[in-house]
Amino acid sequence: MGMGRHDDDGSHDLSGLSLGGHAGAERMRALGRRDLLKKAAAGTAIAVLGGWYLLSDDERTRRARAEIRKDGRPRLPPGQHLIEKLRPMGGEAGDPSPRAFRLKVHGLVDKPLELDFRELLALPQIDTPCDVHCVTKWSVLDARLKGVPIRHLAELAGVQKGARHVILEAAHGYTANVLLEEALAPASRVAHELDGLPLPQTHGGPVRAVIPDLYFWKSPKWLTGIRFSATDAPGYWERRGYNNHADPWKEERYA
Amino acid sequence: MPDAEGVVAPEPSASPRARRRAIPWRRLLRATHRDLGYLAVGLTLTYAVSGIAVNHVADWDPSFESFEHTYQLPTPLPADDAAIAQQALAAAGVATPPEDVYRASDTRLDIQVSEEHAVHVQTDTGVVVSSGRTGRPILRGINWLHLNRGKEAWTAFSDGFAVMLILLALSGMFMIKGRKGLVGRGAVLVTVGLLVPIGYLWLSGGP
Repeated sequence: MGMGRHDDDGSHDLSGLSLGGHAGAERMRALGRRDLLKKAAAGTAIAVLGGWYLLSDDERTRRARAEIRKDGRPRLPPGQHLIEKLRPMGGEAGDPSPRAFRLKVHGLVDKPLELDFRELLALPQIDTPCDVHCVTKWSVLDARLKGVPIRHLAELAGVQKGARHVILEAAHGYTANVLLEEALAPASRVAHELDGLPLPQTHGGPVRAVIPDLYFWKSPKWLTGIRFSATDAPGYWERRGYNNHADPWKEERYA
Repeated sequence: MPDAEGVVAPEPSASPRARRRAIPWRRLLRATHRDLGYLAVGLTLTYAVSGIAVNHVADWDPSFESFEHTYQLPTPLPADDAAIAQQALAAAGVATPPEDVYRASDTRLDIQVSEEHAVHVQTDTGVVVSSGRTGRPILRGINWLHLNRGKEAWTAFSDGFAVMLILLALSGMFMIKGRKGLVGRGAVLVTVGLLVPIGYLWLSGGP
């Protein structure tokens, strides 16, 4: 009996077998079928185990899912998994120079403001850790983003009664729209530090907005303005098929 | 009889007048498909490669590599900002003169080395952080095109490319006759291709 050839890809070429006759052909077919079945079973097992490994939660993610916030919602919104550090996620970078930085607070306000970087740093700051949830399904818990509460800027500018929406303006015409109460929530801020260091340009430095309880595209990098408005104005991603509100607990990812 | 490509030769019985009048539209479609295919190579590779790169933006920055290094200067630091900047840049190994040195607060000095590179000094502790990003060769350019950072002019090019893809798809469907054409293998493959988005919409629950 001749030996079957073992190919580079591990498959058996049975053409070299010399059993001869009908029985030989049957046996070759059976061997080929058995080999195929073995490989199919092995491939399926690898795919299932690999998929299980990729899709299963790690211990920290499981714990965060089980943890309940003060408002009764789970610490980790549905569909999210935990990572250790914020990821930059690209975007068309603005001017990184703190000297060139200006933040306009305008729209439906009594006293429009224009702050430079030094003036911003001189205002009251918050550095309470906040959770960040990206629409691409990663979350970071307790991100350390130090900055000025947006509600403080609103108080300084004197927001008028008719304001219902806040349009966060950033470099190159990028905007994101949020509801007034979400912009004025205690944890919403204009951040200039990450993990105790100046906010890197890749994360929107010198200054970015942070609206913790919405998907992170609502927290524009390279922030240039905060406009208070009576009417809504869907922003860059909202006009491109993303959800207008972006609540991570309702998985409001797309329109 | 159809040849290997499923192309059928003209019937020998057809009259010379009929043959003169017949427009060889399958041949035209094949020529169109071939030439559009050649034209589309550059843009297809641009969009396909950057499409894969940008699809995984949650896992990596497809256009830039970031860096961050920390150094310690001996304290107390000099009183003069220019002198502090000089020490910090030397510690960070930066030889080029900075674009800007900016005193942001009593304890923070920002040195802009270039648009993509900054050095920050914590003046009370002497901690120096050098951070920035460098563009990935080729990928940065094609991602820039894919994400239409060039705006209006590139919108026109990419609209043209989209029309070209539509023509490629349509000419591809009808350019071959017979078993390998739209009535045979082509029908099966077109159906499979259509079932992918339809099936995904159905299984995922759609928008």
